[in-house]
Amino acid sequence: MKRIAPIDIAGGILVVAFLALLPMFAASNYLTGVLTVCVIYGIWASSWDFMSGLTGRENFGHSLFIGAGAYTAGFLSSIWSANPWISLPLGVVIAIAFSLLVGFPTLRLRGPYFALAMLSASAILQRLCLIFWEYTGGEEGIYGLDPLMKNPLHYYWFVLAILAVTVIALTLLAQSHWGLLLRAIRGDEATCQAAGINVTFYKIVSLMISAGFAGLGGALYAHYQLQVSPPLFSVVVSITVIIMVYVGGIGSIYGAAVAAILLTLLTEMLRGFGEYRLWIYTLTLMLILFFLPNGLIAPLWRRLTERLR
Amino acid sequence: MTDLLEVNGVTKRFGGLTAVKNASFTLKKGEFTGILGPNGAGKTTLFNILTGFMQPTTGTIHFNGELVRELAPYKVVNRGMARTFQLTRPFVGMNLLENVLVACMSPRASEDKDKEARASYLLAQVGLGGRDKEPVETLPYGDLRRLEIARALATRPDLLLLDEPFAGLGSSEIEQLAQLIRRLHREENLTILLIEHKLREFMALVSRVIAMNFGEIIAVGPPEEIVKNEKVIEAYIGKTEEAHASA
Ligand SMILES: Nc1ncnc2c1ncn2[C@@H]1O[C@H](COP(=O)(O)OP(=O)(O)O)[C@@H](O)[C@H]1O
Ligand SMILES: [Mg+2]
Repeated sequence: MKRIAPIDIAGGILVVAFLALLPMFAASNYLTGVLTVCVIYGIWASSWDFMSGLTGRENFGHSLFIGAGAYTAGFLSSIWSANPWISLPLGVVIAIAFSLLVGFPTLRLRGPYFALAMLSASAILQRLCLIFWEYTGGEEGIYGLDPLMKNPLHYYWFVLAILAVTVIALTLLAQSHWGLLLRAIRGDEATCQAAGINVTFYKIVSLMISAGFAGLGGALYAHYQLQVSPPLFSVVVSITVIIMVYVGGIGSIYGAAVAAILLTLLTEMLRGFGEYRLWIYTLTLMLILFFLPNGLIAPLWRRLTERLR
Repeated sequence: MTDLLEVNGVTKRFGGLTAVKNASFTLKKGEFTGILGPNGAGKTTLFNILTGFMQPTTGTIHFNGELVRELAPYKVVNRGMARTFQLTRPFVGMNLLENVLVACMSPRASEDKDKEARASYLLAQVGLGGRDKEPVETLPYGDLRRLEIARALATRPDLLLLDEPFAGLGSSEIEQLAQLIRRLHREENLTILLIEHKLREFMALVSRVIAMNFGEIIAVGPPEEIVKNEKVIEAYIGKTEEAHASA
């Protein structure tokens, strides 16, 4: 069991404090809203990194869990008028149920089955939302969810706290004996078997954990937007999350969270560039991934703090 | 005198090639047996079948009285049969301790509460003591073999299968490793099945030899008889040169 270095704890506290205080300097609901979305992306990216970053089994349909959490919130809050706080635990549960549905048959197999099954499952869910439009609202989705908190700033702080808890929990797990096994699975499944390790079991449980946090993030997103719609299930969401993890430094978890926040901010800041926005964004990503195959955030942080460890 | 392992009529075909042909033998508890055979004789394939990494085309394997055919490899390990790989397969990017720790997480090691201490102890047992934090990438061949053995021991096996542990080692390294294996056999109450393709290494080590050629078991007996066996000599004619060259 590795300890988390004091410098990492200090860095984490500083970043969270900075993020928490940021809306105070430039008080605007717009900035608070953007930051809320940034932080939710952080939850999605770090949860993807926990399973796929550690075990090396790439999940091309994280949006399945995100959408499952979000639509759970949509149905509960808007259609069945449930207490909005119920959305969070149930969003987690439904997302985990989906992870079992896809993970159970495919994670025992080698090869690309799991990645493809995740991709297909998320695409199928997106289609189903359109096909069963009478229940799901089709393209328009579900409107009129209740907010969890009236004050957007309070909600931002709440979501930020959940991101902090997510990153801490996943980091502790990743540094435990459990995380060691997940990294061993990434290394060599045959050797794991020879070491008596039930590889499939560990992969499935790590996917459940990943899905649970993604579903939580999905429900939080739904209660921020106060609506849910089919693009939540889209491949674009899944790929965006994966890119964030690669920029953050795969397997680092905190790197994924920080990269998610920065890249979401970048997208927002580029709005002023109109149609050039996508070009600039894509070019930036390609440059980062081309020149820094290990990612930007985590390697940079390790480099900067090398002497303090 | 209970049979720990009972192999019955095991055959493995790869397309047109029969890598293992109707192999039958038993291992008694506490025995130290060797499998001898030139390269390509089917020794590794037999190990892969015993340990669940491959399924036999026909035949049965009983371990501790239980049919282990069709069990996943990790389940075979958790019944008490552990192996090493001929081509060592460490977890790269991890240090020596972590490599062994993984196996300390297996169910048969559940009694070992302090996993770090256990892994560290096993490293010392195989002669890698005090090197817990070293990365595996820079490890010489002989030490990788020792690491493989430590990992197998971490699963607390009854039967240890060693696939050519001496291949590629110098003679002083071979002697040290042989001493380690002998000690494990004596002190840890292990039943050992060891593959080797050079006659010489066997003589001092094992009490019984199963000789294979072209997938078939051609002779079984104590080493001093095996070296005089005509079929074995025939299998090795023209190969003695190679055997000495690689010794
Ligand atoms: N997975 C496989 N597919 C096809 N042929 C194989 C496979 N594994 C081994 N063989 C063949 O089976 C024969 C026995 O190989 P092996 O068991 O590795 O021999 P040994 O360990 O005695 O040197 C060889 O001819 C080898 O080429
Ligand atoms: Mg072999």
